[in-house]
Amino acid sequence: MNKTLTVVLLLCFAAGSAMAAETIKIGLMAPLTGSWASEGKDMEQIVTLLAEETNKAGGLLGRQVEIISADDGGDPKTAALAAQRLSTQGVVAVIGTYGSSITEASQNIFDESEIVQVANGSTAIRLSEKGLKYFFRTSPRDDEQGKVAVKTILGMGFKKIAILHDNTTYSKGLADEAKTLLEKEKVKLVFFDALTPGERDYNTILTKIKADGPDVVFFTGYYPEAGLLLRQKMEMGWNVPFIGGDATNNPDLVKIAGKDAAKGFYFLSPPVPQDLPSREAKSFMAAYKKKYNGAPGSVWAVLSGDGFNVLAAAIKAAKATDSKAIADYLHKDLKDLPGLTGKISFDAKGDRVGDLYRVYVVDGDGNFLLQP
Amino acid sequence: MIRMWKTKRHFLYALWAVLLLASPAVLNPYWVDVLNLVGLYAILALSLNIILGHAGLFHMGHAAFYAVGAYTTAILNKQFGIPVLWLMPLSGLTAGLTALVVARPIIHLRGDYLLIVTIGFVEIIRIALINNVFGITGGANGIFGIDRPMIFGYKIRKPQEFFYLIWAFAALTVFFFHRLEQSRFGRALNFLREDDVAAEGSGIHTAHYKLIAFVIGAFWAGMVGTVYAAKMTIIAPESFNFWESVIMFMIVLLGGRGSIPGTILGAFLVIGLPEIFREFASARMLVFGAVMVIMMIFRTEGILPALPRSYPIGRLPDTGSDR
Amino acid sequence: MDFFLQQLTNGLAVGGIYALIALGYTMVYGVLKLINFAHGDLFTIGAFLGLSLLTSLGLTHHMGSFGVVVSLIVMVMCLVALVGVILDRLAYKPLRTSHRLSAVVSALGASIFFQNGIMLVYGAKLLVYPHDILPKMNVNILGLHIPLIRILILLASLLMMICLYVYINKTRIGTAIRAAAIDQGAARLMGINVDRVIMIVFMIGPALGGAAGLMVGLYYGQINFTMGWIYGLKAFTAAILGGIGNIPGAMVGGLLLGVIEALGAAYLSIAWKDAIAFCVLIVILIVRPTGILGERVAEKI
Repeated sequence: MNKTLTVVLLLCFAAGSAMAAETIKIGLMAPLTGSWASEGKDMEQIVTLLAEETNKAGGLLGRQVEIISADDGGDPKTAALAAQRLSTQGVVAVIGTYGSSITEASQNIFDESEIVQVANGSTAIRLSEKGLKYFFRTSPRDDEQGKVAVKTILGMGFKKIAILHDNTTYSKGLADEAKTLLEKEKVKLVFFDALTPGERDYNTILTKIKADGPDVVFFTGYYPEAGLLLRQKMEMGWNVPFIGGDATNNPDLVKIAGKDAAKGFYFLSPPVPQDLPSREAKSFMAAYKKKYNGAPGSVWAVLSGDGFNVLAAAIKAAKATDSKAIADYLHKDLKDLPGLTGKISFDAKGDRVGDLYRVYVVDGDGNFLLQP
Repeated sequence: MIRMWKTKRHFLYALWAVLLLASPAVLNPYWVDVLNLVGLYAILALSLNIILGHAGLFHMGHAAFYAVGAYTTAILNKQFGIPVLWLMPLSGLTAGLTALVVARPIIHLRGDYLLIVTIGFVEIIRIALINNVFGITGGANGIFGIDRPMIFGYKIRKPQEFFYLIWAFAALTVFFFHRLEQSRFGRALNFLREDDVAAEGSGIHTAHYKLIAFVIGAFWAGMVGTVYAAKMTIIAPESFNFWESVIMFMIVLLGGRGSIPGTILGAFLVIGLPEIFREFASARMLVFGAVMVIMMIFRTEGILPALPRSYPIGRLPDTGSDR
Repeated sequence: MDFFLQQLTNGLAVGGIYALIALGYTMVYGVLKLINFAHGDLFTIGAFLGLSLLTSLGLTHHMGSFGVVVSLIVMVMCLVALVGVILDRLAYKPLRTSHRLSAVVSALGASIFFQNGIMLVYGAKLLVYPHDILPKMNVNILGLHIPLIRILILLASLLMMICLYVYINKTRIGTAIRAAAIDQGAARLMGINVDRVIMIVFMIGPALGGAAGLMVGLYYGQINFTMGWIYGLKAFTAAILGGIGNIPGAMVGGLLLGVIEALGAAYLSIAWKDAIAFCVLIVILIVRPTGILGERVAEKI
């Protein structure tokens, strides 16, 4: 009885959205409250900006785009509810979210409701290994970043490596990837442990790592801790180079560490719009600056913008808002769409194709320089 | 007078129960899911009610027992493929055993000290889960791919289906705990809540009873953990932090300590209201905090406090003499 | 040996901050027998107010770094003391005669309220204190490189503790506070204005917490609205460790906890650091609930 009811309701929605003069609703699931509130707010700002730009240019298929936000609170339980909510509000697709376990909690719900989901900040490998037809992500996977990290470390000639993570899903995933790859090489892993995020005093940990004598420290955690690590490391008078994962990419990193401490810090990241020469990136930056007065803080939030862009492209090209059509287009026909972070295409699993990661270094003035 | 009030209350409960049962037919899956969550928390709060409301033990670590139950289910289900519903009593058992081990040394502590220890305990459990203790908890990723519950071959998947499972469990819980309240055990708990020393003096082995209260509460919470794991199909340490304990604690206190209907009402308010006010997400928590303070000041016994015990004084037995 | 000493100093430095916050907890608990869950958030408020004052008043233009720090500490302490008194008036005073549990819940509610209030006012992102206010010199003691600031923080905590100890034990008001801590009813009968005593306690305790927040902000540089939670819990552990209600106890507890954490992290495992701290808490409560320096107070039946 319930199954029939749901099918009938879905048909009604489908019929309803096919009628003209209605808005196209795109859902945005983001951590608007909770520990990742700053990410979520960034995501919301970017996606609403892009939606406004699209609407100014005439909308999609002649209809205006409406963004419906749902807060996932940075927690799987709230995310499941948020997903349920969105799936009953007639959205044609959902962008989000940040945090692999959070996204995971919502995957089944969207899949069962046959709603396309484009995640922007979920790098755990297993999310795209479940055979979900409607799941995509604009963020890369931990294994890719791990590969690039190891390549960079080996390329710089380091022989004794320390890996520090913070026990979160993302950070540990990346650390494990790097560890596995490094163990195959002729280098020595002298340290592998986690710090507690949210603490402030890392002198104890730094002293411990220092005692193990590494040539380089690969830190896979987030920028607040990275900034503190750099700052305290300099106070200790310890000069070993640090390499960070993409979660350390944030302008506040230099603010926290101070220019002197941040100088010479390497990190990996998908390129941010500021550093890309493409037309789309530049016009996006201009529009963002005009509306919000500044640059977007996090590359993950920018990836949610790319999520919007791919959905818009798919809807336009497929001339439909039906999930199957969008998914098919994204799987098969979307090739090298110029996005805010580079060219975007998806493979059969929904993962983003292509080498996304680049190496950045921080110079003496606190600027992030993209390495060739 | 009290009897009249009781009948009126019973009528209201019956009415509300009927409305609840009928709701999946009219509400969309999102709201049904909200009610599911309300149901889960109601059962959790009822289990905490035994410890906090009836025995008067300040316990803020209930999420730890919930976590133990959920993880037991998840691990056993993934490793051995045991169907989820069979694991309910087993999860309850592990949670209960944990309670036994943990509560035994601290049972004699004074109120606020007990509170702190329980907080410390729930944090330790969370850290242990994150650090992948014994290699079986999956670390920060948690465990995913837990099976859905199967009843006689029917797989429970949709919110509407879970609704009936959860609320049937809730009804069972209410029944069981009501009997417990009315029993000698329940009376003993209330006695030692009011006056620890007098109770001991009256021959109630307080440490023993407190421990049993803990174990029962934990056992039930463990079972809820099973249902939660099966519903979400993934569980992660973040879902079992101190904040969850605070929510359960709040539900019991706001709804009415030691009162079953009060606790259920508390669950509706604490879980349901923030969902209704989703648009004001940022101010939501602010209001929550303020409400907590205000409630305590103006109506400290909770919204639906427990009614005092009453016993019918019917006709005295005929003793043969004129009365 | 070098490694051990270095970690020891690390622990002492962190412990100094814990001690300062613990002092606030212990004072309030001593008099009211109330665990002020909102204390950690008072610490956070201190840190944020310090930043606001620093940036809006442009103090660095007018005086040297020592002057800036001292004036900031004084201003923040006064402001947070005010917040503390308001907190007491609104959330705790009406519950003085109620069940203890109600006050605990009210404290939790106040904590949630403050935390989210800070988030709404200052934003969810973390904020950074300007650098270059504190001197960045290193001092060489016994061959160890110790930044001067860490020593100064420790000294500041010690100084405040000594002042507090003297105040509590040698002045009339201090005696009144001690009397109220032992028995409020009897104190009232002795003519002590217990309400005023409580108000003073809620000025001193939060002021210390706020000062700690300011120092953390100045030294570590980074503040966000959730920082009070873990510091508060650790400081509370420290207070219990040393003996709650006991002022030197808070100091001892704080330093000891810092050292245990640091050594535990250095020799056992970094990831389990917090768990070790909580284990310490539980062990102490089971084995010696009144803490290391706590007095054994017989409970009247």
